[in-house]
Amino acid sequence: MYAFQYHKAKSLKDATDRLGKDDEARPLAGGMTLLPTIKQRLARPTCLVDIGGIAELAGIESQGGVLTIGAGTRHAEVAASGAVKEAIPALASLASNIGDPQVRNRGTLGGSVANNDPAADYPSAVLALNAKVITNKREITADDFFQGLFATALEPGELIVKIAFPMPNKAAYAKFPHPASGYAMAGVFIADTGPGVRVAVTGAGASGVYRWREAEEALGKSAKVDAIAKLAVAADDLNEDMHGTREYRAQLVKVMAGRAAAALAGK
Amino acid sequence: MDHHHTFEVSGAHVSRLEDYRLITGTGCYASDWNLPEQVHACFLRADRAHAKIVKVDVAAARKAKGVLGVYTGEDAVKAGYVKPMSFLTFEGKGGMKARLPSRAALANDKVRFVGDMVAMVVAETALQAQDALELIEVEYEDLPAVISPEEAVSGKAPQLHDDVPDNLVFEQEAGDAAAVEAAFARAAHVTKLKLDCTRVIPHPMEPRACLVAHDAANDGYTLHVPVQGINMMKMQLSAYTGVPQEKLRIMAREVGGGFGQRSIAYPEYAAAMIAAKALKRPIKWISTRSESFMSDSHGRAAYITGELALDKDGKFLAMRIDWIADLGAYLHPAGPVSPMRNPVVCLTGVYKIPALCGRWRVVLTNAGPVSAYRGAARPEMAYTIERLVDEAAAQMKIDPAELRRRNFIPPEAFPYKTPTGSTYDIADFPAVLKKALEKSDAQGFEKRRAASQKKGKLRGLGFATVIENSGAGMFPKDEILLEVAADGNLTAYSVSHSQGQGHETTFAQIIGDALGIKAERIKLRQAVNEKPLMGNHTGGSRTIVGAGTVCHLAAKKLIEVATPLAAEMLGVEPSQVAYANGEFQSKESSKKVSLGDIAAKKLLSATGEGKFGSTFPNGCHVAEIEIDPETGVTDLQSYVTVDDCGTVINHTIVEGQMHGAVAQGWGQIFGENAVYDSETGQLMTGSFMDYAMPKAGWINDMKIYDHATFGTISPLGVKGMGESGCTASLGALANAMMNALRPEGVAPMNMPYTALKVWQALSAAKKGK
Repeated sequence: MYAFQYHKAKSLKDATDRLGKDDEARPLAGGMTLLPTIKQRLARPTCLVDIGGIAELAGIESQGGVLTIGAGTRHAEVAASGAVKEAIPALASLASNIGDPQVRNRGTLGGSVANNDPAADYPSAVLALNAKVITNKREITADDFFQGLFATALEPGELIVKIAFPMPNKAAYAKFPHPASGYAMAGVFIADTGPGVRVAVTGAGASGVYRWREAEEALGKSAKVDAIAKLAVAADDLNEDMHGTREYRAQLVKVMAGRAAAALAGK
Repeated sequence: MDHHHTFEVSGAHVSRLEDYRLITGTGCYASDWNLPEQVHACFLRADRAHAKIVKVDVAAARKAKGVLGVYTGEDAVKAGYVKPMSFLTFEGKGGMKARLPSRAALANDKVRFVGDMVAMVVAETALQAQDALELIEVEYEDLPAVISPEEAVSGKAPQLHDDVPDNLVFEQEAGDAAAVEAAFARAAHVTKLKLDCTRVIPHPMEPRACLVAHDAANDGYTLHVPVQGINMMKMQLSAYTGVPQEKLRIMAREVGGGFGQRSIAYPEYAAAMIAAKALKRPIKWISTRSESFMSDSHGRAAYITGELALDKDGKFLAMRIDWIADLGAYLHPAGPVSPMRNPVVCLTGVYKIPALCGRWRVVLTNAGPVSAYRGAARPEMAYTIERLVDEAAAQMKIDPAELRRRNFIPPEAFPYKTPTGSTYDIADFPAVLKKALEKSDAQGFEKRRAASQKKGKLRGLGFATVIENSGAGMFPKDEILLEVAADGNLTAYSVSHSQGQGHETTFAQIIGDALGIKAERIKLRQAVNEKPLMGNHTGGSRTIVGAGTVCHLAAKKLIEVATPLAAEMLGVEPSQVAYANGEFQSKESSKKVSLGDIAAKKLLSATGEGKFGSTFPNGCHVAEIEIDPETGVTDLQSYVTVDDCGTVINHTIVEGQMHGAVAQGWGQIFGENAVYDSETGQLMTGSFMDYAMPKAGWINDMKIYDHATFGTISPLGVKGMGESGCTASLGALANAMMNALRPEGVAPMNMPYTALKVWQALSAAKKGK
């Protein structure tokens, strides 16, 4: 690690002011990605602006068919929240399987979504549920927000304040964890949003989280589980590493999608 | 003696005396030590696998803030810290002498693996040392690297060390090759398998660290390092640095995991000695986990071809093995010895095999050094035999339990002299197998397999019946010193050092049992330099056999020593004194004196000693697994162990040992694998993001049983059991996997059985059908 300054932000404005003054300053939420990166000297921020205690980023609220979760909410809080379990049980279940207890007690929703790790779980939920990412400047739809590996629509100095999830009729998430890291090798979130079915895949895509349109169409036409079984998953655009070839990831996407679809169908 | 007797030991489940301290954070590990005026070291490590060092420019680093010194290979050469770190005195094939490459504490001519140390920076703070490290410029001339050990000895590979032609350190043969040849010629069936026992990276929870101080008054050194015993560390360090053993003090209190990896005097410690002397300040270094991955010793890395010859009835006629041990870029002290000595001792396994032979080649590659890892080549050997036997059973369509029964060394054959010269003292393999099959309900397996099939899953049951050599040790004897305090409490001193085995409890139980007093009244002190004792380090499952037995002997001796003193105080003849439960009583009157009463008047102590040969713990493990063919994921359904480790002193500790060792076997079979890029020699599994350590939730519901025969080497009947979980689990789990995969048309696979590989194998088999 290199030496850096630390600033505990008192408010959203305090945080954005501080970040605005210094291009090399970085916001610190749960720090689950940032801190290991700093420890390995792979990042060298001048200042860490701790947004952990900011009141505007806290809270879980369910109103008018929309579940709104503050960006600073930790995974363990989402997993344990009665409001989340009632509104979108698949989201609570997703949060309960991120990392390990230590990670869930530190990592935050906003941190995960802003980082957009291609193997993170939350991006698939945000995309499939057609959520709105609400920042200190604007609202961004999920389809516009995720822009490739570790890339998002966020501008410098822009912070996620909360995320608004429209409540689906039904939703389900199935994940195949990486044998070493526990991140998703393939995670498929399926949401029956009323007007249609949205399917988002994380962990497998070479450019990060993506919508699987063929699966959406197939599931939109037929609620049957075997709708997925008939689809072919192209391996070309998928990730490859020593733990999973493209072909294997294609298989996992299909199997996880099938399992999520089965869960959605109550099977 | 009744071979079928199972011993019931009082105090069968005893909670560990050290646990309160350890789980409340009041332990003291290597990095917890601090000394006044200490400064901090960090190491510049090679970012490439093989290169000539043309120039190391440290000028800018020397001038950096807080920096006190920068050291390179030149300093190591000046100090004379360049010797080979290993020794091998016996002769190999055709009188071959081992070619032991030298290793400079800091690399001075070449770097030979990713993580090799090029320079050491010492600064007032660790952060300053890290900052300065980035200012060092190294000019390299890259050389081609070799990672595959088979390629390394092919005659076409790059040479790592000038004095080790063909990268071959040693070649050895054992057994009767001509007899084996003849047996194979008349065999009705031959099973041949290529069995790679992958390179793994052991991970004690405590990272490596050292705090090294130089004492100018006697030109000696004090080192605070994780150890498995202080004598071994002193011996290795002295041999390497030339500093006499009596001028080395090794300090350790808690050690957070050893597995063989903590028995080594690493070059970082020697480099720190150079700086401690030069700067007259204590040098502290704490390894990062990334450094551990690269530079702590790796394990296994055995590339074995095994062949088993059988007659038409399934009787074993002969076995032949060819073993290449990949030891990485340099030799660690025990590195070359264990893959050759241990497999020869147990080459016959638990079977009567009339003819045996083997060939061993110890080979260098551009990867991290390999040394003994929990089991030290016994798991590799047992895995080889048990895979061959299981595969032969499948090929010959003989029930695998029946094939084993036909070939077991029968109980009445003990003591049994094996064809390779070792003597198994006592065991009962048929009874162990029978109990294991009963406890795992092997009979009900086909029903469970059918139920799995209905769910679309593949189910497999596999087992391994294994034996391993334990006990022995390279020091001439083991000693334990017992001292009694005036309050009647005792202190025991040992040179062996627990790394989690619970010596404080087991030793106290043994002594307490012999003296008839509570274990809580006996305190064990380990790694005490002020009480010079002889003894082995903790490794090879030998501590219960050596130091443990000597605890018993020391207690008996203490009574002997105290008896005349008690008699004198009681005013009677020694023959008129009886000892029980911490007190001596006069047979003539009811007068008593306690051990404490005597100690209040006179120094009361006794040293027990003993030397013990090899013991032979053995057992049968049964694993049942279920594979999801859609993803290739394996789920462990049940795991049953029946072990004969002789007398069990403390079942809680035995079970804990079994949990940990089986988890390590599970880890190796299903995911742990140190992968180097075959071209560049870069370590691809350099963090827990890619190196698949087993997680606690994956292994549950283990059922642990024992079936003891009373070992003859120790008067306590103990045999040792710290490694048997590794030795049995590799074969049991692999056999369970093949039992599930074979009906699908999958050919014998090499470990690890990762989800990816299993899915690929099933896909390939499906296409082939």
